[in-house]
Amino acid sequence: MYHFAYFLLLLAQIASIGGAGYALAQAWSGRTDGLRVVEKIHFPVTGAFALSSSILLYALSSRDYSLNYVAGYTDNALDFFYCLAAFWAGQPGSMLFWALSVAIMGSIFALTRGYGETPERSRLWFWIFFFGITGFFATLLVLWSNPFLMTEPAPADGSGLNPLLQNPGMIFHPPLLFLGYGGFTVPSCMALAQAVCGREGARPWYQSTRGLLVTAWCFLTAGILLGAWWAYMELGWGGYWAWDPVENASLIPWLIGTAALHTLILERGRGKLTRVNTLLISLTTISGFFATYLVRSGVVNSVHAYGQGPVGAPLLCFIAFLCAATLLIVCCSEKGRGELENPFSREGALCLTSLIFLVLGFIILTATMWPVFSRLWSSAPMGLDARFYNSVCLPLGTLILLLLVVCPALSWKFGVQNRTWLALSLAGGAAVAVLAWLGSYQRIHPLISQFAAGAIAAGCLAALVPGLAAGRTGFRAGSIGAHLGVALCAIGIAFSGPYNQKNDLVLAEGSRAKIDAYELTLKSIETGRAVDYEYLRAVLEVRDADGTLLATLKPEKRAYDKFQGMLFSEVDVAASFGKEVYASVSGLDGKSNMVVQVNIEPMVSWIWLGGVVLSLLPLLNLRRRRNGAATADASGEGADGSAAKAA
Amino acid sequence: MPQKKKSNACLYAIIALLFLGGVGFLIYQGLSENSTYFLDVTEAKAQDQSKLTNIRLFGTVASEGIVRPEQGLGVSFTLEDQFDKSETLPVRYTGVVPDTFKEGAEVIVEGGFAGNGQFQAKVLMTKCPSKYQKENRS
Repeated sequence: MYHFAYFLLLLAQIASIGGAGYALAQAWSGRTDGLRVVEKIHFPVTGAFALSSSILLYALSSRDYSLNYVAGYTDNALDFFYCLAAFWAGQPGSMLFWALSVAIMGSIFALTRGYGETPERSRLWFWIFFFGITGFFATLLVLWSNPFLMTEPAPADGSGLNPLLQNPGMIFHPPLLFLGYGGFTVPSCMALAQAVCGREGARPWYQSTRGLLVTAWCFLTAGILLGAWWAYMELGWGGYWAWDPVENASLIPWLIGTAALHTLILERGRGKLTRVNTLLISLTTISGFFATYLVRSGVVNSVHAYGQGPVGAPLLCFIAFLCAATLLIVCCSEKGRGELENPFSREGALCLTSLIFLVLGFIILTATMWPVFSRLWSSAPMGLDARFYNSVCLPLGTLILLLLVVCPALSWKFGVQNRTWLALSLAGGAAVAVLAWLGSYQRIHPLISQFAAGAIAAGCLAALVPGLAAGRTGFRAGSIGAHLGVALCAIGIAFSGPYNQKNDLVLAEGSRAKIDAYELTLKSIETGRAVDYEYLRAVLEVRDADGTLLATLKPEKRAYDKFQGMLFSEVDVAASFGKEVYASVSGLDGKSNMVVQVNIEPMVSWIWLGGVVLSLLPLLNLRRRRNGAATADASGEGADGSAAKAA
Repeated sequence: MPQKKKSNACLYAIIALLFLGGVGFLIYQGLSENSTYFLDVTEAKAQDQSKLTNIRLFGTVASEGIVRPEQGLGVSFTLEDQFDKSETLPVRYTGVVPDTFKEGAEVIVEGGFAGNGQFQAKVLMTKCPSKYQKENRS
């Protein structure tokens, strides 16, 4: 059966490369009669990926240890659910999953009306790019990263899934990222195809692939935030973002993609920045590949010891090729119409926003690769730590927030258009800033961010609530909702980042400690055994100044049978939208005192709340497209003007 | 109209320059304050130790010489070069010792040299067991 699965991957490879080649030959000779064949090829490609994925899932669910991959990432004690999630726990599996999500997104797109309305020549070019990418994935799987390698005889038990990954956050984090990367592939291929074909046809790529674009962005956002939540809840060091190369890798495509979404507004409404958008959307997809390269090739010495897998070199070649091809196509393609308006207009603000996103992406990319670059002039490589990222990136983040306060109030041409609305936002921001000041959160930089976040939240609510209450469509509920999510996340970061307190406590059983306004009592130290691990548990009572019991925290330190010699933290939090108490067991010292890390994280939960809003509300835009399609098409470019007023 | 276009382009250029200048300043400041040398044990021993006040060392924990204080936090240990086991450095660390710290573990320490040739670590990180490729698969 696994030979058959491997054969399916081979089939996907041959079909993709054959399809791309045939389409290229057709395009070269200026014919489109082969399109009927070409646009059927995605069925076998997606089918082959889907069937081989099902075989892998079946092997994982039946714990067939004759497959190396199953033996490597599952064992008998593992929950059924986590067994299935082991699909993307290892490199070959996650590559297969990524290929599958690209293929599925392509097939979905091929069945939409947006694809049907695309002229034939553009379709042909779309498939050239798209099959090029699926072909590359299939080649990677067939040659360098085959998930269907077998061992004879099969071992009796597998080596188990890393306990760090046995967490709901980690189950959904990788597939969401891959679905995001996969979703961006279709718009990029379509953008490139239209650039090659001189943008023929009635509907540009960002309209025909709009659903995928929005969904992909939501997936990517949700994936990144879920990763942060996982780090906070599972790694036990009390933070959610450490600027580790692996975290940065997932952030770069998000930054470029977000920049693209903002410059697209100018193209949609007024046909400007056409080439910039084609470039940015392609770079989004390419940076997804680069993220994988960074994570898998071992080029940067990260805290995460990634296997120096064989996929690094082919990935780098593919990235270089894609970059060159994209630049060539974009440079030769037709320019957009019209000059930009005065910078002190909504156009100017949007451009600056995108520029900041791109600069952020560039800085993070360069800083992550700094150990590699600095070898060019220094014998010892130099690296940049979290302080560098914080001191450079956070001010830029604040600048984006400030722009977001004023941008929706600006006119498309020049100056402030909506003064009442702006005044309302600023009042909201001032209220938040005053509250923060009175709560003795008085540092300047966080205060500015808090002010901006408050203003954005107030402005978004002022735009969102009346519109939704009246059941209006045709206004940008999704985008405004996303900005509300940004504001909530920003509030969470601006409080929990600079004002968190980390305390390492050494406590004897029954002893007390005072932290911030809380009194902690170590009620007991427990040890015991669960199904496949032993644990050391601290039972901590958290009381406020009046002595009222707020929560009983039970953080654990676990030693799993399958992961001998390694200990894992299971943190516990007294969840709150105010100050959150976070406890993590560090161990026992020589005198059997409990060593615990107890952190006070003010308003950290707002990040998770904002994350949910940020990942879900943009989906409202999908509905608007369907409802608004008829009116928008009829009135040409009218949609954006009315949206401006609604915002 | 042409006049307006020109002035717009100028304005954009000025704003971009101001912005990039600001970013450049931030980066310059960040680089001069926060860049850390990434070294392994052999490289660190070859350099002038009095200048190495803020470095990040990669290495493996030697099997002998792990001493934990009787009370409180921290650990002292010997750090071996990843490739050349004969090159070692004594490291002292005060703080919470990560879960995965043990002999033979690949670790990253950050800090500087104290006067006596001992490395005083402010940060001790163990390499996370990868989610993609597991080691020690025995």
